[in-house]
Amino acid sequence: MNYGFLSSFFQKDLFLVLGFVFECLKERGMAGSNEVNLNECKTVVPLNTWVLISSFKLAYNLLRRPDGTFNRHLAEFLDRKVPANLNPVDGVFSFDVLIDRATGLLCRIYRPATAEEPEPNIVELEKPVVGDVVPVIIFFHGGSFAHSSANSAIYDTLCRRLVGICKAVVVSVNYRRAPENRYPCAYDDGWTAFKWVNSRSWLQSQKDSKVHIYLAGDSSGGNIAHHVAARAVESGIDVLGNILLNPMFGGQERTESEMRLDGKYFVTLQDRDWYWRAFLPEGENRDHPACNPFGPNGRSLEGIKFPKSLVVVTGLDLIQDWQLAYVEGLRKAGKEVKLLYMEQATIGFYLLPNNNHFHTVMDEISEFVGSDC
Amino acid sequence: MKRDHQEISGSGSKPAESSSIKGKLWEEDPDAGGMDDELLAVLGYKVRSSDMADVAQKLEMLEKVMGTAQEDGISQLGDTVHFNPSDLSGWVQNLLIEFNGPTTTPDPNFNDDSEYDLRAIPGVAAYPPVKSDPGLENTRKRAKTESSSSSSSTTTRPVVLIDSQEAGVRLVHTLMACAEAVQQDNLKLADALVKHIGLLASSQTGAMRKVATYFAEALARRIYRIFPPDSLDPSYNDKLQIPFYETCPYLKFAHFTANQAILEAFSMASRVHVIDFGLKQGMQWPALMQALALRPGGPPEFRLTGIGPPQPDNTDALQQVGWKLAQLAERIGIEFEFRGFVANSLADLEPEMLDIRPPEIEVVAVNAVFELHPLLARPGGIEKVVSSIKAMKPKIVTVVEQEANHNGPVFLDRFTEALHYYSTLFDSLEGSGVAPASQDLAMSELYLGRQICNVVACEGMDRVERHEPLTQWRTRMETAGFSTVHLGSNAYKQASMLLALFASGDGYRVEENNGCLMLGWHTRPLIATSAWRLAGTESGSELTQELS
Repeated sequence: MNYGFLSSFFQKDLFLVLGFVFECLKERGMAGSNEVNLNECKTVVPLNTWVLISSFKLAYNLLRRPDGTFNRHLAEFLDRKVPANLNPVDGVFSFDVLIDRATGLLCRIYRPATAEEPEPNIVELEKPVVGDVVPVIIFFHGGSFAHSSANSAIYDTLCRRLVGICKAVVVSVNYRRAPENRYPCAYDDGWTAFKWVNSRSWLQSQKDSKVHIYLAGDSSGGNIAHHVAARAVESGIDVLGNILLNPMFGGQERTESEMRLDGKYFVTLQDRDWYWRAFLPEGENRDHPACNPFGPNGRSLEGIKFPKSLVVVTGLDLIQDWQLAYVEGLRKAGKEVKLLYMEQATIGFYLLPNNNHFHTVMDEISEFVGSDC
Repeated sequence: MKRDHQEISGSGSKPAESSSIKGKLWEEDPDAGGMDDELLAVLGYKVRSSDMADVAQKLEMLEKVMGTAQEDGISQLGDTVHFNPSDLSGWVQNLLIEFNGPTTTPDPNFNDDSEYDLRAIPGVAAYPPVKSDPGLENTRKRAKTESSSSSSSTTTRPVVLIDSQEAGVRLVHTLMACAEAVQQDNLKLADALVKHIGLLASSQTGAMRKVATYFAEALARRIYRIFPPDSLDPSYNDKLQIPFYETCPYLKFAHFTANQAILEAFSMASRVHVIDFGLKQGMQWPALMQALALRPGGPPEFRLTGIGPPQPDNTDALQQVGWKLAQLAERIGIEFEFRGFVANSLADLEPEMLDIRPPEIEVVAVNAVFELHPLLARPGGIEKVVSSIKAMKPKIVTVVEQEANHNGPVFLDRFTEALHYYSTLFDSLEGSGVAPASQDLAMSELYLGRQICNVVACEGMDRVERHEPLTQWRTRMETAGFSTVHLGSNAYKQASMLLALFASGDGYRVEENNGCLMLGWHTRPLIATSAWRLAGTESGSELTQELS
């Protein structure tokens, strides 16, 4: 793996590392060495964010079994879900569509309420979008391929925000999850949803009678977005842009960031390994191209009309080296990519609008999508 | 920046040194006080802002304790019964107790006694029992049940579209237009549209065709004022419930989840009495009786009071059911007593008629599966019945209702809601493995069709299908002085497994909602089970023992 590109970040990292060491020493002197990990991440996120992500972490620890199975019943019991709502809330209404009966594939569609139809009824759900250019964002929720759903409250909230900031229709895909459904189920579902969106006449922009599609996702959703984009361009269908928030990538070797940040900010290498083992085909390792698209088994995107990408990487995410390698892989293949490196942000910063990183990223996303309109 | 510890109420003391690091990010909003954190509330978690630091502390403690445990041990906590995940504080607290057992020492500065009721910790009584309870009273879940679920003023209209087709849309459009014409009293237009619907429906297939046909017929009845002839014969309805029970899992789910709650409430009792507000064919009770028969320590004496409507042919349907259940009881070795009560309406019941024995002698459960909403058709009906329930002094009240808003004041709104609801229901019947031509399926559709007819064509006291969503039932029950008994992850899991067994359609989903369980088709909840106890009493039903 080429570490060269990391040199510009190394300075930053050095200060980070020194900062951590300093904090560690300070903590150690006072509260005992067990407190180090916990107090570090408490210094960088607001309290309610810390509580939210910590309780996810706690719940997730209960759900993963050492033998690779997953406590799905408890997962569904604990997950906070919200129904779709035809009544607009903050100008956005939503409804669910079963787009593939065979697999039970469902998508939640979010549309802006209009002044003319403040209370949409069932007939208006698939009314043609109005506008010269109307972006349609296909969103893949995160959860490391195993957790969450399109109707999870955290993702319902995020998708509603995206409608507002991008003046877009958002289609959130309820893809099948690991370990019950391994690779390539999630990608297949993503592709099914993509084709469905692309073939909806009511989603076509008036300018060119085409659906203006963006792919977006966080964590495993970001990974899915990449692979669906690759498949789309292979099939000759345009994707206008990819938005990846803390995308989940990995590889066989252990990177510096993985070792440095293991267990420090809600995420451990052990859990990352578990999720890859649960998603990838049995017997495959993390250099499988699903996990490591620009790794030894990966494929160059040179000469392929891959969309421009907005990739958000947080400085306190232990897999950042892989995400940065992904960005570098895009660059080397001559693809347009904008990297947003949020130094002091942890995973999940985009779930609550209580920090600057959140607002910065939302503005960037808005601009990224808006630049085509 | 030095923090002022007094701002964090109930959090106890923390090492002063670490406070300065947290300073800026953890600015407490001085106005927060007893309000729930808004941002977390949107995400489905109710945590008072003033409790936030305390919850954080507990999470840290849990992390520390779990950090020293084996990996196996952690995922075994998954086998613990979890309750009401929206109450983060309670959830974390219970995990701490589960994981740590009696060695959890409460923070001396922590002043909320209800959370650390040490009598609740199984195995070790830090305080001697104050009075002799019939069983182990587990009060720890009680702590946060008082935080009442806010009945939101805005209603939700959840919709799942199945196979959106152009033709289907036109049909729906016409149905809506017809309903609108009826709303505006433009009967000439409504008449024309109803005829058009018939034409459109005939070119449709599947669920959409059936739903449209039922709605069209109901609209026609409303327009021409030809009201359904047998809406006054509830016994016919009771009979239609059997095929409905067979073809889809809704009733099975209702019975199963209600029985779970009842079983847990009955756990230590030696004499139990179930008052079933709608006995019908008594399909709910064999499973409960068998579970009671298998109870470790032996079954209790089981008394069943079944209430039902008068029969048109004057047969004693109730006694027939009672007799069958008595035979079952004898086979499985339970002492069984049955009483039937005929009543036109539950509001006609007086608790004294039911010969209820005092709580020290028998434990009472009141069961109402789809029996409460008809009471909303008469002024004072529901209030009378709720107060009767209270007079029965039940340990638990189980309520199952349709998760729908079919009782709004505006006809067009009711129509629209019902159209969404029954479309989803019919679709789920389609999606299940039942052969399309079967007699049972046809009867199930008729059962639902009669409901559609009632919602759309009837008014006043005749309109009995006055379904209301769980949030409204919650408000009603809480106002009347009941609190939620939480259905936990064990009930959830078993309900899910039941679905896998009996419902070949993959689309059924169980959802947890503030201690209640809902069954839906994909993302649309369709029925909700809730369990209640008189506020200020202890149901003891939130025990962690798994009841198989």
